[in-house]
Amino acid sequence: MSVHEQFADDLSPYALGALQGEERLAVEKHLQDCPDCRHDLAQLQGDLALLALSASGPKPPLRSRERLMAAIAKEPRRTPVRLVKRKTWWTAVEWATAAAAVAVLALLLRQNTDMRQSLAALEANSTGQQEQLLQAKELIATLTSADAVHFTLVAGKIPPQPQGKAIYLRGTGTLVFLASNMPELPPQKTYELWLIPTSGAPIPAGLFRPDAHGSAALIKPPLPTGVEAKTFAITVEPGAGSAAPTSRPIMVGIGG
Amino acid sequence: MSRAATNVVSTDAMLMSAIRSGDEQAMAQLYERYSSIVYSVALRVLGDTGAAEDILQEVFMQLWRSPDTFDATRGSLPGWLAVITRNRAIDSLRKRRPETDITDVIVSIEPDLVGGAELSRALERIRCALGGMPPPQRSALEMAFFEGLTHTEIAEKTGQPLGTIKTRIRAGLLTLRKAFNP
Repeated sequence: MSVHEQFADDLSPYALGALQGEERLAVEKHLQDCPDCRHDLAQLQGDLALLALSASGPKPPLRSRERLMAAIAKEPRRTPVRLVKRKTWWTAVEWATAAAAVAVLALLLRQNTDMRQSLAALEANSTGQQEQLLQAKELIATLTSADAVHFTLVAGKIPPQPQGKAIYLRGTGTLVFLASNMPELPPQKTYELWLIPTSGAPIPAGLFRPDAHGSAALIKPPLPTGVEAKTFAITVEPGAGSAAPTSRPIMVGIGG
Repeated sequence: MSRAATNVVSTDAMLMSAIRSGDEQAMAQLYERYSSIVYSVALRVLGDTGAAEDILQEVFMQLWRSPDTFDATRGSLPGWLAVITRNRAIDSLRKRRPETDITDVIVSIEPDLVGGAELSRALERIRCALGGMPPPQRSALEMAFFEGLTHTEIAEKTGQPLGTIKTRIRAGLLTLRKAFNP
């Protein structure tokens, strides 16, 4: 049995929280270096979520809602933070810089929150911070990699022109998608982005609804690794999204 | 009126976006949508309504205070809430400090559960899959998940070899996955 297989075997007890001490630390260390095991762990957590959902049924008493809303009312309000706010068209470099800045800002915000926690909580969170840092590095590497393929999606020449920018790294299945000037949707509809492979059926690459400015972003939606993209496309789908497109694409990538 | 309040049906992503902006009505909507899941899971683990209410409060307050702990990369919101609730409830049961940072929890789940009729259909399939499992397999799985027992503890409790328990749990999880990805 290889080292990797040994850790793969430990993933279900790890996901169940049944590993302690050195065994647990060893798996966490391996997870940092192994995207395959991170993917398997996410799937296992999905299996566990299904198991957890089997308990659904009882509803909490009304007083729980009142208690929560009263507690929330006492908390200071946050200043709104939006991922994408600008109305003007961005160049590819500006998109990339802004997306990287968002990743770094999220990291800093999280670190700031953690600093207010106790030393014990900080120790418990250290693994999570490392994971966050790895994700930020991975994101920035995607945005700056010479291997990343850039697609520009357009829908017409009438201003304001809806546009989308998909930046895709096949090797890791990493995608960053940013859109602007997208038309508003009816409440029960959503935009769905599709990865159109060179062969085979379109692969769902995430759902999005534009904000008040028509902007939207999808950062690292779950995608299989190693799929060569012919292009990307956007369709309008029912609110929950679809496993396969149910309407003609309203926007399609024009270059790679 | 807030943006979230004007929408008849808001997606989870829209509600989370509004919560990041401090929209209390969006939080109320999210609570209406998923409080039953969080409460049910906590109650199943803890077997005590008061303790389950405490976990319910803790999970939603955490989401209110740090909404960035959940984003689309974490997977399905109801699935994620179910898993972190179970983890918190087990920590509480064992009277230990939280062991898992919730930002470490990524839940890859099919279908993308969004509440309402789709969630009800999914629950039916989950319960059907559990009902079809051999009783020892289901029992091992539920002891590990809802009681927080380690594989060794389950082996001691049932008198079965450790390897058998591991196999049963792994097979049980696979059965659940196959109920949605045959």
